[in-house]
Amino acid sequence: MTRAVVGKELRVLWASPVPYVVGALLQLVLGLLYVDQLAARRQALFQPAVPIAGFLLLALTPLVCMRAVAEEARSGTLELLLAVPVAGRPLVVGKWLAAWITVLVVLAPVVLFVLLLEWFGNPDLGPVLSGLVGLALLAGALAALGVLASSLTSTQPVAAMTAFFVSLLLWFAHVRAEALSVGGVMDRLSISERLRGFAGGVVDTSDVAFFVLLAAAALTLAAAAVDGRRLR
Amino acid sequence: MIEAVRLSRDFGGREAVREVSFSVAPGEVVAFLGPNGAGKTTTIRLLLGLLRPAAGRADVTRPVGYVPELFAGYDALAVSSYLGFLARMKRVPRAEVEPSLGAAGAADLAGRPVGRLSKGQRQRVGLAQALLGRPPSYVLDEPTQGLDPAQVVEARTLLRSLASDGAAVLISTHLLAEAAAVADRVVVIVRGRVVAEERPGEAGDLERRFLELVGRGELT
Ligand SMILES: Nc1ncnc2c1ncn2[C@@H]1O[C@H](COP(=O)(O)OP(=O)(O)OP(=O)(O)O)[C@@H](O)[C@H]1O
Ligand SMILES: [Mg+2]
Repeated sequence: MTRAVVGKELRVLWASPVPYVVGALLQLVLGLLYVDQLAARRQALFQPAVPIAGFLLLALTPLVCMRAVAEEARSGTLELLLAVPVAGRPLVVGKWLAAWITVLVVLAPVVLFVLLLEWFGNPDLGPVLSGLVGLALLAGALAALGVLASSLTSTQPVAAMTAFFVSLLLWFAHVRAEALSVGGVMDRLSISERLRGFAGGVVDTSDVAFFVLLAAAALTLAAAAVDGRRLR
Repeated sequence: MIEAVRLSRDFGGREAVREVSFSVAPGEVVAFLGPNGAGKTTTIRLLLGLLRPAAGRADVTRPVGYVPELFAGYDALAVSSYLGFLARMKRVPRAEVEPSLGAAGAADLAGRPVGRLSKGQRQRVGLAQALLGRPPSYVLDEPTQGLDPAQVVEARTLLRSLASDGAAVLISTHLLAEAAAVADRVVVIVRGRVVAEERPGEAGDLERRFLELVGRGELT
């Protein structure tokens, strides 16, 4: 069931211009900013690419996810599926997997930067690998948030904006955290702080668990939102 | 078996359907008639569990073939992949796709993208989708809208054959001639209430009766 949803979603998604545009924008901006960083540091480091790519994913993943449920709700296909009845969970999990795969494919050319580094100098492969793992996990969590936002509305732009602003809040959750009484909690919610560990070469299980739990929580809510559409 | 038992539903205080009861037995085709806004689609969505009834209950033998009022598909997919996907969702073998398309008169459309179909072609694909797996119940919301006269006749034959195979078939329609020709019974709904449930006579009789039930003023 989930496999069929993934296959259908991938076909529909890649028939639209979204992945191509998102991919082009991501690589272009990332390339410019990263080369600028390399030139400034005069060191063969992959590390600076991680937060740049992470922040770009924040803006671009919602575009990949926005149609997931919202478009099916608008076009009436969701109602067709709910009448079968198809449960919310395989539906949102399939949509999330397709979105995640799509983001990973679009992100994949960053390995070219690694090859570039090899040519430049002698990069330490540990941080490169952990950085890539961190980005992949971040993409999974962001895709889940995007699918959740998409399941709450039948308007795609609203879904994209909601997902973007929620991700943005999570990205900057640590800012001025020490000034707040809940600062410790906010610090732990910050996805940019989590990503920083990966970029530095550390794969911390608590950071991995954080992204996995974030994705699981978002998908659970999204499935509930889809099931909630059945009886309104 | 399709059964509505005193179904009621309002939208924001406005009554859409009020204590609607009727049933469709296996082997029967029932036409659901009523003017625009009478509550046909609302009743159908209540039957399918897509809307929560304010009161009453719905009982439909599953699986159920459903043709929504407006065709719903994925524009980018070919007709055969669209049906293949829905077959997977309905847990029906993919091999069912071809016969369903054939039965709905849409065999020639298999390779066409859904987004490029004409209105009548879309309607036929929508019907094919409902036929997947030959379920015991069919709930069809205006399944013949947009079909040309030859297709309407074919659809009529198809609905009769589904019923003679033992399925319960409910169709909503505005075409009285069609209702008279295909249905064993007609259920007439006006302003959310069932006002008549009877055998259809000849098309002309049904039209006279319908206008009488609905009140001429409402059709202008
Ligand atoms: N989701 C909704 N929100 C608010 N009102 C609704 C909703 N769905 C239907 N209604 C109202 O309920 C009433 C019945 O609508 P319904 O779609 O069931 O009519 P219908 O008999 O199918 O009409 P038609 O022949 O035009 O298809 C109408 O007054 C309609 O405006
Ligand atoms: Mg209707």
